[in-house]
Amino acid sequence: MTRELLQDKPPREPAPGKKWIRVTKVVNGIDSEVWEEVDDVQGPEWGPRDKLRLVSRAIPRVDGPEKVTGRAQFSHDVRLPGMLYAKVLRCPRPCAKVRLDLDAARRLKGVVGVVELGVDEVKWLGRPIAAVAAETPELAEDGLRAIVASYEDQPFAVTPARAQVDGAPLVNSKGNLRGLSRNTDTSEVDAALAKAEVKVKGTWRVPVQHHASLETHGIVVDYRGGDEATVYASTQGTFTIPGDAAGRLGLKPNQVTAVVEHMGGGFGSKFGIGIEGQAACLLAKETKRPVHLLFDRASEFHAAGNRSGGEHELEAGVSRAGELTAFKARVTRDGGISDGAGQPQPYIYAPKVAFAEQRCVHTNLDGHRAMRAPGHPQASFAMEGLMDEAAYAIGMDLVEFRKRNLPEGKRELYARQLDKCAELIGWAAHAHRSKWDASNAELKTGIGFGLARWGGGGGKDCRVEVRIASDGSVEVLSGTQDLGTGTRTYCASIVAEELGLELGQVRARIGRSTFGNANPSGGSTTAASLAPAVKHAAWNAKRALFDKLAELLGGEARNFACGGNLIYDATDKTRHIGWKDACAALGPNGLAAQGEWQSHLAANDIGGAQAAKVQVDTTTGEVKVLEMVAVQNCGLVLNELTARSQLNGGMVQALSYGLFEERVVDPDLGLFLNANFEDYKLAGCKDIPKMLAVFEDDPRGVIGMAEAAVIPGHSAIANAVRNACGVRVYEMPLTCDKILNGLIALKKA
Amino acid sequence: MSDVAGSHDDRPHARDGVLTRRSFFKGAGVVAAGGLVGEAVHAAAHSMSLEPVRLSGEVEIELSINGALQKLKVEPRTTLLNALRNHCNPPLTGAKLVCDRGSCGACTVHLDGQPVYSCMTLAVACVGRAVTTIEGLGAPGQLNEVQQAFCEHDASMCGFCTPGFVMSISACLERKPDATLDEIKHACAGNLCRCGTYPHVFDAALSAGRALRAKGGKR
Repeated sequence: MTRELLQDKPPREPAPGKKWIRVTKVVNGIDSEVWEEVDDVQGPEWGPRDKLRLVSRAIPRVDGPEKVTGRAQFSHDVRLPGMLYAKVLRCPRPCAKVRLDLDAARRLKGVVGVVELGVDEVKWLGRPIAAVAAETPELAEDGLRAIVASYEDQPFAVTPARAQVDGAPLVNSKGNLRGLSRNTDTSEVDAALAKAEVKVKGTWRVPVQHHASLETHGIVVDYRGGDEATVYASTQGTFTIPGDAAGRLGLKPNQVTAVVEHMGGGFGSKFGIGIEGQAACLLAKETKRPVHLLFDRASEFHAAGNRSGGEHELEAGVSRAGELTAFKARVTRDGGISDGAGQPQPYIYAPKVAFAEQRCVHTNLDGHRAMRAPGHPQASFAMEGLMDEAAYAIGMDLVEFRKRNLPEGKRELYARQLDKCAELIGWAAHAHRSKWDASNAELKTGIGFGLARWGGGGGKDCRVEVRIASDGSVEVLSGTQDLGTGTRTYCASIVAEELGLELGQVRARIGRSTFGNANPSGGSTTAASLAPAVKHAAWNAKRALFDKLAELLGGEARNFACGGNLIYDATDKTRHIGWKDACAALGPNGLAAQGEWQSHLAANDIGGAQAAKVQVDTTTGEVKVLEMVAVQNCGLVLNELTARSQLNGGMVQALSYGLFEERVVDPDLGLFLNANFEDYKLAGCKDIPKMLAVFEDDPRGVIGMAEAAVIPGHSAIANAVRNACGVRVYEMPLTCDKILNGLIALKKA
Repeated sequence: MSDVAGSHDDRPHARDGVLTRRSFFKGAGVVAAGGLVGEAVHAAAHSMSLEPVRLSGEVEIELSINGALQKLKVEPRTTLLNALRNHCNPPLTGAKLVCDRGSCGACTVHLDGQPVYSCMTLAVACVGRAVTTIEGLGAPGQLNEVQQAFCEHDASMCGFCTPGFVMSISACLERKPDATLDEIKHACAGNLCRCGTYPHVFDAALSAGRALRAKGGKR
């Protein structure tokens, strides 16, 4: 496979039978755009957009009626004969030696199984240490209370600050503060900074954010002895389940079927079965009864991963003409016991000279997990803030300054998107485009901007089957999982489109490991991996059907076409057959066709811009977001309605991140203080502004679009607050106290 | 933090002999107890030698659920939510267990027509009252106006919060089919959605209100 760094055009003409596609790859640890030469196979095409009947149109999701009537079955909802409910005991200390006596719990009436999760010394708060299965959830809680546990506290550090003081207890054997960059030579950037006409600097901080999926992590293990088990899992990866579960059940992976009918949100946190899932398997194996183990809410906060926090110390040089001449960053991410995802700097914008150092600091808390666009929202908050500070420092229009510092190859794209956002949010009529509003008004309005980038390309790990039965019914089968993005719906619509049927004639069956393999849903890779394979399977099914009909009706299969429940010879329209009759001709076996990923039906590389308009109450410090606008390209939009939901959802999550969300821990007591929905705030109905989501026309194939949507919204909001009242909040979330303190500081200055 | 021994939710739970559903005891080595607070026994953290004793038992109650009477065996501490999900036959799992303390609305059902958090309501307190769950509002093929509008406007993504939103909005529009956007936001201010479907939820609610008014206005 040949790869070349990205230029505007492919490096040369493709070899015979090959073609060039753009992909995002990690090259030397950096996300890079590259051209890749791949086989140019003849196959299905999406076709002209204006000719599409179902794909790309606004289609209500096919499983909507199940969801709105409570019939959709999530793993939480699985109820089986003789099923036990399991609960998990978690270590309430961040670092402790643990001793358990389970005898009393075992003797408790109604408790059927108890397992110890083999740890002598716990290194992070909330680690599971034992699990109890009982006849009801209430009895399982009793069982937990009957466990006699003793915790011998060890020194701990639960905040980055405490982890870095002299003599801090060692969380990681390699040190609590670890440099992750090989290049630490700052001489070039220091020289460029020294020569800068204007300098700006600041330290931006982001808190730890939680995925807070409404359906918590967990599985239901249906094992009643014997050599087969079914595992219902709330997961982003159907195929990440059987292998994990089989090991603990003493079965082979192919004796375990994973089922994921519906799942209640994951956002990057749900892969595999985890320690708790292993406990459920052990309990099922011990009791030979089905076991239902789902986290409670506090556990979800303590032990289901998070988006790492971070500190971004940024310094930039800028010319009075509006060019970023130098950029220096030191990024320290707060990943708990793990490293945390990279928070790339400089984020999107292209200074002439740039240097970034990445470090991580370890604490005795749960490690990070991937969360929707890992690392990008954190980086965006700091970089977009710096961009505004630089623009204010030289008195330049905030949009104009951004447009002057865009990366090579993306200038036209981002400039167009910024202009569109500016138009939709009313930038031209806004009075404060290059300075903030310094008036004494009580309610002040400001506007801010931010950019996003993501890959969203697909891969080869999907196998899809389309079945046509002799009664005319059609099924599309894949083991993939629907996280709420509308996967079932586009599977059905792609097949119906290809076969000339109505949406209701095709049933999509997904979420079962006995169906064809599918990639786990991470990094917005599902649609771009799966949709091409679905299209390919439908196309193959159609060709097989046409071959059969050509035998039956005469004519040549390649001249056949279908539409409106009819199959006909395009060269001789008298040769035609209705869909039902055609399928009856297949005989009792019907037909089945397979499909795999087709690179030409997918694409990669998303760009987006967002703008926010806020109102700041200078008496209370309250920020009210009035309006948000998102403009994004994303290749072929598979379903305009569900895509709009995702773009809105990205903006909502970013708003929530910017204004409300923050993990709070007590550094002395080592406790997580807000592991619930009263104190860990999520945006609710009354926080939602007017929202506008715009997809750009984009002739490319399918690209996953969800990650980019969540990246820049909170940055735009923070910038809008600064624009409204002059207060730069360097640390999220943007709470009233920070705004008021900022206003007081401004007054003093 | 109900999963972690020794750091339980610390809210008062034994006030004035009031029936509460939680009986949390602090400290390791705690003895199980549940149900009526009057009977609660506090166990000290050092009570390692105590044999566990359960002080509550099951009671048989009859509840009116979606228009039909159903006999259920529950404990006094069993929430209405757990009764619906774990004790009904067939199980009614449309109402979801998400926060288990009345802060997200995913468990919303109607009690005598009023939306309530079923995770904060004891099953035994619902005897003689009419419980309506999401399963009682409509079925696929027979959706009510709110459910229909939710489908058309794509007001669900993962769908876990959806039953709760549908219950809150249905109750609101039942009272006031011409509810304004602000009134709708107020009606579901107690419901959380993590996927961020709110804009489409509002569109759906306004559209359902129009459909209800077209059908015959205020009842």
